[in-house]
Amino acid sequence: MLGLKGTMTIIDNSGALIAECVNVLKAKSTPGVGTVGDEIVVVIKRARPISHNAALSNIVKVRRGDVHRAVIVRTKKEVMRPDGRYIRFDDNAAVLLNKKKELLATRVNGVVSSDLRMKGWGKIASLAPKVSRYYFRPRSI
Amino acid sequence: MTQDVPDGLPTSLLEGKALMAHLAKTLPTPAAQTLLSTYFNPRHPDHVLPGSVLSVSLPTGPFAGILISIRRKGIDTSFTLRNVVQRTGVEMRFNVCSPLIKDVKIISRAGQNGGKRMRRAKLFYLRDQPGKMTAISTAVKKASS
Repeated sequence: MLGLKGTMTIIDNSGALIAECVNVLKAKSTPGVGTVGDEIVVVIKRARPISHNAALSNIVKVRRGDVHRAVIVRTKKEVMRPDGRYIRFDDNAAVLLNKKKELLATRVNGVVSSDLRMKGWGKIASLAPKVSRYYFRPRSI
Repeated sequence: MTQDVPDGLPTSLLEGKALMAHLAKTLPTPAAQTLLSTYFNPRHPDHVLPGSVLSVSLPTGPFAGILISIRRKGIDTSFTLRNVVQRTGVEMRFNVCSPLIKDVKIISRAGQNGGKRMRRAKLFYLRDQPGKMTAISTAVKKASS
């Protein structure tokens, strides 16, 4: 449940460490609170220092104060799975995206929620080292 | 307008008499009913205590963790398991009567075989104690591998 001013850790290797939510990109009618699988706009609050070599090359350089899009991958607020299970993590986490809804970085460190798959972020879910495989895959009818 | 009641059932069910009790007996699968009457029945000698380490086998893989809470509501009884996965704490709440739970295995019981007896019914304080959780999660990993 991340809304305006909600902070989260960034768990990819883009260089950002902590980001703050600025906007939740959902329909205007829904409340401005995001959960796992929602796209949000974030401001980078803390980032890793960029080494001299990295600054010269073409690697994505994420700096403090940058505004990026991100997708929420873990929430402290429990999320219900369609089968009635609830899953809750110890922190809020997100992964940075570019305007084309692709991953900005190359790797994801840490567990992500399987609810990502259900919301269409299967690519990110498959990049995570160990996805919470604890979801109910609905049988195709 | 009369409706037929399945064989062996009292017609008073149609009037709503003792309907919830009937549902509580018939809705859960036999496996779930045994779980309810043994592991999650506080009067049964084999009931699980909070602090025990359980492993739930689901169709998508097992989830193991320490039992931190049991919410007793008859057929809606649910329990929460907590584990640390890749340095992140994960909690999962299951309904006992969920048809997805294939099996609940007890890896270690609280208070037996050297396991510590917890002095609380709800172990939410473990969320703030990473030291205790690392010890528990390594034991869970070793036991479930």
